[in-house]
Amino acid sequence: MCGIAALFAYGSDAPPVDAVEIDAITERMRPRGPDAGGTWISPDQRVALGARRLAIIDLTDEGTQPMTDTDGDLRIVFNGEIYNHHELRARLKRLGATFHSTSDTEVLLQLYRRDGPGMVDLLRGMFSFAIWDPGPRRMFVARDPYGIKPLYIADDGKTFRAASTVKALLAGGQISRARNPAGVAGFWLMGSVPEPFTIFEEIRAVAAGTSFFVDERGIHDERHYYSIATTLGQGVRDEPAARLVDPHVLVRELVTDSLRHHLISDVPVGAFLSAGIDSCALVALATEAFFQPPRTVTLRFEEFQGHDVDEAPLAERFAQRIGSEHVTRLVARDEFIADLPRLFDAMDQPTIDGTNTWFVSKAAAERGLKVAISGLGGDELFGSYPSFRTLPRIVMGARVPFAASALSRLASRPKAKALARYGHSWAGAYLLQRGLFLPDDLPALIGAEQAEEGLKRLSLIEHIASVLDPDPSSAFGRVATLEASLYMRNQLLRDTDWASMAHSLEVRTPLVDATLLRQIAPLLLVEQQRCKHHFAKSPRTPLPDWLSERRKTGFIVPLADWMNLPADGTSTRMRSWARVVMERWS
Amino acid sequence: MRVLHIGTDSFGGYGGIALYNRDLIAAIASHPVVTEVVVVPRLLPSVPEPLPAKVAFLDQAAAGRLAYLNTLRKLRGPFDLVICAHVNLLPVARMFSKHPMLMIYGIEAWKPLREMLSNRLARRCSAVVSISDITLDRFLGWSGYEGNSHLLPNAIRAAWYGIRPRNEGLAARYRLEGKRVLMTLGRVVAAERYKGFDEVLEIMPALDAGISYVVAGGGNDVPRLKRKAARLGVEKRVIFTGLVPEHEKADLYNLADVYVMPSRGEGFGFVLLEAMACGVPVIASRLDGGREAVRQGELGQLVDPTSPAEIRVAITDALASGGKSVPQGLEYFSFENFESRTHAIIESLV
Repeated sequence: MCGIAALFAYGSDAPPVDAVEIDAITERMRPRGPDAGGTWISPDQRVALGARRLAIIDLTDEGTQPMTDTDGDLRIVFNGEIYNHHELRARLKRLGATFHSTSDTEVLLQLYRRDGPGMVDLLRGMFSFAIWDPGPRRMFVARDPYGIKPLYIADDGKTFRAASTVKALLAGGQISRARNPAGVAGFWLMGSVPEPFTIFEEIRAVAAGTSFFVDERGIHDERHYYSIATTLGQGVRDEPAARLVDPHVLVRELVTDSLRHHLISDVPVGAFLSAGIDSCALVALATEAFFQPPRTVTLRFEEFQGHDVDEAPLAERFAQRIGSEHVTRLVARDEFIADLPRLFDAMDQPTIDGTNTWFVSKAAAERGLKVAISGLGGDELFGSYPSFRTLPRIVMGARVPFAASALSRLASRPKAKALARYGHSWAGAYLLQRGLFLPDDLPALIGAEQAEEGLKRLSLIEHIASVLDPDPSSAFGRVATLEASLYMRNQLLRDTDWASMAHSLEVRTPLVDATLLRQIAPLLLVEQQRCKHHFAKSPRTPLPDWLSERRKTGFIVPLADWMNLPADGTSTRMRSWARVVMERWS
Repeated sequence: MRVLHIGTDSFGGYGGIALYNRDLIAAIASHPVVTEVVVVPRLLPSVPEPLPAKVAFLDQAAAGRLAYLNTLRKLRGPFDLVICAHVNLLPVARMFSKHPMLMIYGIEAWKPLREMLSNRLARRCSAVVSISDITLDRFLGWSGYEGNSHLLPNAIRAAWYGIRPRNEGLAARYRLEGKRVLMTLGRVVAAERYKGFDEVLEIMPALDAGISYVVAGGGNDVPRLKRKAARLGVEKRVIFTGLVPEHEKADLYNLADVYVMPSRGEGFGFVLLEAMACGVPVIASRLDGGREAVRQGELGQLVDPTSPAEIRVAITDALASGGKSVPQGLEYFSFENFESRTHAIIESLV
């Protein structure tokens, strides 16, 4: 896990790359990689690479970046982990490759040399990287299938810039801070800035599951090598194979395989533990697979004491049951208030989430952990969000003649009133389900002109609908695709990245894994919402009923109490928090 | 020791389970403590092979349901060991032992059975012998069985196969002259769409035009696969052999440059052993028993059958590696080792 940066002055009239700029960009990412750092500038000063390193695999200096291959030819900066690097290394060695380190970074270099851009299809992991190939004078850039690791780029037609964070790119001093109305509108509508937009005009996110080249022509050969919608659509074909095996057992096999890959590390790996099924089942399966439990961390808030949202008592009980070395970390209002300036500084783009991950990452880092696994993604994978039930109902209901328009006239709540307008499509229904504000609210929030421009550029409904192309061919597949491609990618994964990296902690998500999704998709389509139950029962000693039957509460923090937020018509007060975020984020 | 073997088919039977049972019965009979092995087959599709010494083969049982029940009724015990060679036959085995030894192979034991009685009886067996780790693990996952368990993978008699000169007649019959050949052998039936035929077909367009794919086997799913091959524009490069006669199998394997089976439903994958015994590089699945046939990648390549890229790269690598050789380590699956493992199981029961 690292922070990476790349500059490429590809235009013939572009000024040479600037050492000060690459240094500034790289330095801004120091918390992402406190163990080492470095930059490299090509002799002709057309290319610069920079990296900060959090050493997790191959702790020696051999793993330092920017890294060159054994021929001293290719150079790479890489952020993330390649979980199948042992298998890939074995194959490359069989084919004659030689290595000078045990790091996964070097595997990427050799794989690129062997398989070219097709290498990305063979990777299991979370990653973003840039490889400078001096022969054809081109840079190969790629981001992982789910978009777990961030990568932002700016291209002015002469110089290509890339970095792991938006704020790092800005720190280079060459990019305008002008806001992008689409990014601003996206934040107010969804609670986070939807990719590929960012909050800044000149910066965009590299799409998840995408690779491309940059050479004297600029960016080209952009290839979308992975699609969640396609994967879930293809799962239909293999449903017969999923029916061969007892569902509990199949879930155990596939998740355990993902865990085995995600627990590859040269440093100890801990785990975030709540009282939810996802983290508990993951920790139980990890304990079974490795014969000892990982160290576990839970948050506790005094404001929640005695309420069912207080997960600490059940998490402690479960930790005791599996014998993990457990810590419950108390977080109080004073600490939150004291941390707010640092939290907003680390927050790469405005978002209404991430505070929970900030504190649990802080707690894990205090215990000396560099790596922790998280149950993030379990709800998207196993269909346990309410949206898996409500979205199909909204779409079906809105298509009943006159039903939606009648309800819209009679209803008082804004989203119910908007049913006739949005409910007939999956994209519209998703906006109703997940939207923080609705488009009609925007003029009051950001002004009529900004709202109009933002909505025009954002084309939110078309943007949401685009993730359903190709159609996943089932209601379950559609909701799973929407949740994983939008809410999880734009909010959960992104917030987990900045909030954990601020504490130099790498969070790994075994349930957010393209290989796991490919393998388990047929079972998901057969079993649908029952999958969460199967997950709870998948460990050899199934989760106890007091965990698996517990009402879902989510991983929340008492923001409302801490910030004295007005209710503002929503039970979660997230709209009020969004206003605070927009005021204080910089 | 007197042993009763209650199974579907063995001598005179077709397919992997029949062969496995023949090997098992022969290995049991060769143990010095065994005085007799009484075999009651449910099916007898062809003439039985010569029987090993000490084996009493009650072929009359296979003449129909009534004959089967009649044979069972007339059977005289006691038996020191009752082997139930198919989980569906547990109620029959229960007639002769409260705690029979159960043999499990693959998909029949991967999830609870329809008959609740068999599910209950499965928990009460004295021992379970599994063809593979994956089958055992999947069986233990649902059955609640907590007793002794043993692994007994398939045996391969490598001398029956071997690297042979190319059978030109067979190559001409299947239009394979000058081609590089991929092959998968198995039943091509709609109810078993987990053999990996579809997965290989789907990557054919991405492979060199000089590569042909032989679908070796017959069944009711052939027309669908033919249509699919046509849709993918590779119909001229995909050969459907129909049912392969036993005597042609070794020659057919020898026509292959790579044996590839990205399957999801194999309890073990005996065909992988056959291909390896013919010196053909094999590609097996990570997600089923195929991985155990190649000893977790030691004897052949492993791929994720859900990843077209992995399958394509494995094929390309295997074709590039060139040359045929019987992998060192295949003797792990020799009949002699199978027999030793069987004897060890018998001794643990004694």
